[in-house]
Amino acid sequence: DDVIPTQKVEINNKVALSRIRESIQLDISLPWTETLAVSYPHAIQVDVNDDLSRELAFYKQALHSATHARLLVAKSYSDFPWTRPNDYFAEMVKTDVHMERVRQKLLDEKATIQKSE
Amino acid sequence: NGQTAGPAVKKRKNKQRVLLLSSRGVTHRMRHLMNDIEVLLPHVKKDSKLDSKSQLQLLPELADLNNCNNTLYFEARRHEDLYLWAAKMPNGPSIKMHVQNVHTMDELKMTGNCLKGSRGLLSFDKGFDETEWGKLTKELFTHIFGVPSTARKAKPFVDHILTFSILDEKIWFRNFQIIEKDPLSPNGPPQTTLVEIGPRFVLTPIRIFEGAFGGATVYSNPEFVTPAAVRSAVRREQGKKYNLRKD
Repeated sequence: DDVIPTQKVEINNKVALSRIRESIQLDISLPWTETLAVSYPHAIQVDVNDDLSRELAFYKQALHSATHARLLVAKSYSDFPWTRPNDYFAEMVKTDVHMERVRQKLLDEKATIQKSE
Repeated sequence: NGQTAGPAVKKRKNKQRVLLLSSRGVTHRMRHLMNDIEVLLPHVKKDSKLDSKSQLQLLPELADLNNCNNTLYFEARRHEDLYLWAAKMPNGPSIKMHVQNVHTMDELKMTGNCLKGSRGLLSFDKGFDETEWGKLTKELFTHIFGVPSTARKAKPFVDHILTFSILDEKIWFRNFQIIEKDPLSPNGPPQTTLVEIGPRFVLTPIRIFEGAFGGATVYSNPEFVTPAAVRSAVRREQGKKYNLRKD
């Protein structure tokens, strides 16, 4: 962080930015279920270098948005398929082999903690 | 985007397809990050590496050939720096960003998992609404990272959430699994909890161009220092120490 930014010409053409945004904006009549985008009503304000509180802030944002979306679906889009049925099996993002390694690592960590106690 | 002129009875759909490709010279970590994005976004069409870094004007043509109206282009420089271009096709805008702090899904620390092809929620913090460049970025990211219901490989359910947060003038990306049952009391009332799936990365916006991979600059980040400049400053600092000792 020792670098002093050299004076650069700043460009921030707000008029053009907003015009461009309007030109690509999705049709406002689209139902919310087409984009599934949620806005978090707070700005993230934590110390960037404090890993723990930073990740907590992101977690809080995600949790707030997830609960908000869940309620929205329950209230206004009752036929929207949110929860996967218990008998619906399909490929996951991470393979079973990978998840087994994750589980094994957690067990190993637990074991080391117990040993050191 | 799906504006069919015709009887208004027809349901309007959000139609997005994203072309995903990289330049030559990506390292394994960058490649894994691209794979993670591909696996999370079923409306992504991956293409082979672009041959020349100076011929970005080929990209709109390539997107058109693949019927894509968005492009994510990863540009690797010096085998260590990674840039990401997010662009709307065919007429722009394009946002060029610097990618840092990459953690991929392969890491064993992140224990979450989700259906392949499920539709993720998108969450943007308030910071995006406070500036014009933020609003434009939010709109474009909604097109690119939102899985349209019409995507061929998409599963209809929602079991994960992608979050974008602005902190320290950078965009932080996280991906969490949504669990509706409390593992401690499986028969109790549903309680939403989250487990991180990955990947993680941080994007520093550098420039926004009006066109697709070109055109007038409408935003430039005055705070951005190129990673090469950072490294050379560090080296100069170390050299100074040596010179002092020598004298």
